[in-house]
Amino acid sequence: MKRYFRELSVAAALLVVLLALAIFVPAFFQPQPLLSLLTREAPTLVVACGMALVIICRQIDISVGSQFAVCCVCAGLLAAEGLPLPVVFAASVGIGALLGALNGALVAGLRLPSIVVTLATMVTLREGLRWKRQGQFVNLPDGLQWFGLDQVAGQWTLITTALVILIALAFAMKHLAAGRFVYAVGTDAEAARLAGIRPQLTTFYVFVFMGALVGLAAMMNVVQSPQVDPKSGTGLELKTIAAVVVGGVAISGGRGILWGVFAGLLLLACISPALTHLRVEAYWEKAIQGAIILLAVVADGLRSRKEKQ
Amino acid sequence: MNTDNHGFKKHLLRHETVLLLVVAVEWFYFNSVGPRFGSLDNSFDILRHSVEIGLLALVMTPIILTGGIDLSVGSLLGLCAITFGKLWRDAGLPIPVAAGCTLVIGALAGGLNATLITKLRLPPLIVTLGTFSLFRGLAEAITRGADTFTNFPAAFLFLGQERWLGIPAQAPLFMIVAVAVWLLVHRTTLGRSFRAIGFAPEGARYAGLPVERRIAMVYVLAGVVAALAAIIYTARLGQAKADAGTGYELFAITAVVLGGTSIFGGIGSVHGTLLGVAAIAILNNGLVHARQPREVAGMLTGLLLILALSSSVVPKMLASLRARRQISSANIHQTKPA
Repeated sequence: MKRYFRELSVAAALLVVLLALAIFVPAFFQPQPLLSLLTREAPTLVVACGMALVIICRQIDISVGSQFAVCCVCAGLLAAEGLPLPVVFAASVGIGALLGALNGALVAGLRLPSIVVTLATMVTLREGLRWKRQGQFVNLPDGLQWFGLDQVAGQWTLITTALVILIALAFAMKHLAAGRFVYAVGTDAEAARLAGIRPQLTTFYVFVFMGALVGLAAMMNVVQSPQVDPKSGTGLELKTIAAVVVGGVAISGGRGILWGVFAGLLLLACISPALTHLRVEAYWEKAIQGAIILLAVVADGLRSRKEKQ
Repeated sequence: MNTDNHGFKKHLLRHETVLLLVVAVEWFYFNSVGPRFGSLDNSFDILRHSVEIGLLALVMTPIILTGGIDLSVGSLLGLCAITFGKLWRDAGLPIPVAAGCTLVIGALAGGLNATLITKLRLPPLIVTLGTFSLFRGLAEAITRGADTFTNFPAAFLFLGQERWLGIPAQAPLFMIVAVAVWLLVHRTTLGRSFRAIGFAPEGARYAGLPVERRIAMVYVLAGVVAALAAIIYTARLGQAKADAGTGYELFAITAVVLGGTSIFGGIGSVHGTLLGVAAIAILNNGLVHARQPREVAGMLTGLLLILALSSSVVPKMLASLRARRQISSANIHQTKPA
């Protein structure tokens, strides 16, 4: 109980917000808008799971938004070429994994700080995409939206996919050796090395996995609309990092569980509609996101200081 | 120790000479591509356009020397430009007072970073990532995403657009800050303490340095200078918008790393940073003269950062690999008789 205090407090906050919404804004719980909200957040959840792994491994990846956009546009172009859905799907995941491997090689291979490496890849990918596409939208062929299912079935498919990935990863992080490796490397890379784990290799694979998840999330985003916006994924890195640190993953690595990230993401997802109902203008969203990140890390900082004393 | 120091100095010298060569090659290349590139007018144009990024890079240098990073400087530039416009137009303050208040706001914003980093011992990257979003978000919220401040008086625009004694009016300001930061980093005990902290924070603490105060100082300095850059930016463009300075943190960090400052802290120089700024500014301006789209400049800056980072690390890694192989082969020979 005490061990998961941080995660439980996030879950409690989520419950309070949901209760407040139920009392003051019952319209929030109408099934169709709620389903749409969850569908919109499904790709974000997949990326947030990957970001949690990266941060548990004591790294960070701020290039996910640009990777996401590149995967979306590539998947859209391939689909427009008339390739079948499974091929497009595999290509999107593959491109994401490749981009992740690039980050991973620079961070793990050359031992460069991940924040600077991913800052560089973030801008390079984003500007490269803008240069190649000049902001053009990609029109998708018929039958791709919602995988060719009707909308509600498509939405449920996406939500289920995201949840399956969450559950599988939560299980893997707790019970599989690979998951424990990530915690070990994030807690103390040198100790992990002495215990026979190869920290650099683990870090590399975490970045590749992050990229693959981004590719998957991009695919989950592409099927939601008849067009691909080349600007999609802008700010995704901040959104997912916010969800991860609010969800109780320590920014210094080695601590946190995916269920906390899940609760953190839901909490953030509920705040935005709640603000709309409180008549706070949408322009405040970025500022509030920054404030939430700072509050979450301050809370962790205060707690760890108390524990030391 | 002595030879080590000597080798390190030689390395720095070499790095900066190479960079100078790169700048020269860039210059001659773009001169041959764009007919107007080499003119005096264009040289002043390059100087004018690089002042804001130059200022940010100058104060980013001590931050990276201490082993930290500040991702929020570009956003802070945007926020300060907005508050400056707001104070002048809506609060009706005269320009000098508004500028003074803006500098104070910059110091406060830098102080927020400093407090979170030193008092709570939080990693600079996550703190400044949070304020990166917070400052830009505040700028958007204040202007509601649309409000722009224009129609500044001509006397103020002189600072950004006219010439004074034949050089761009903002250049003297830039030079003053550059000399001040150079003296701070290379000629004072404060500068030495930044390096000491970057090399080993614990060691610096045991040596009796007030590590927290020194670290707080570099972030507050960054805040003040970002506010100054915001004022110059507003004077140059004649308008203040919420998206002012977007992505400038990348240019500043790239200039610093390109200038030979180690991203892990402890090693680096201000004159290297100035050369880095020159390399980026000439690249940006030259690409325009070579009729390349604007996006290419951003893309190349990102690639340049990756190259600069790897070029400093790869030789060291190869050397350590070789050393390890030698040691392990020596070990094998030693253990054989036993």
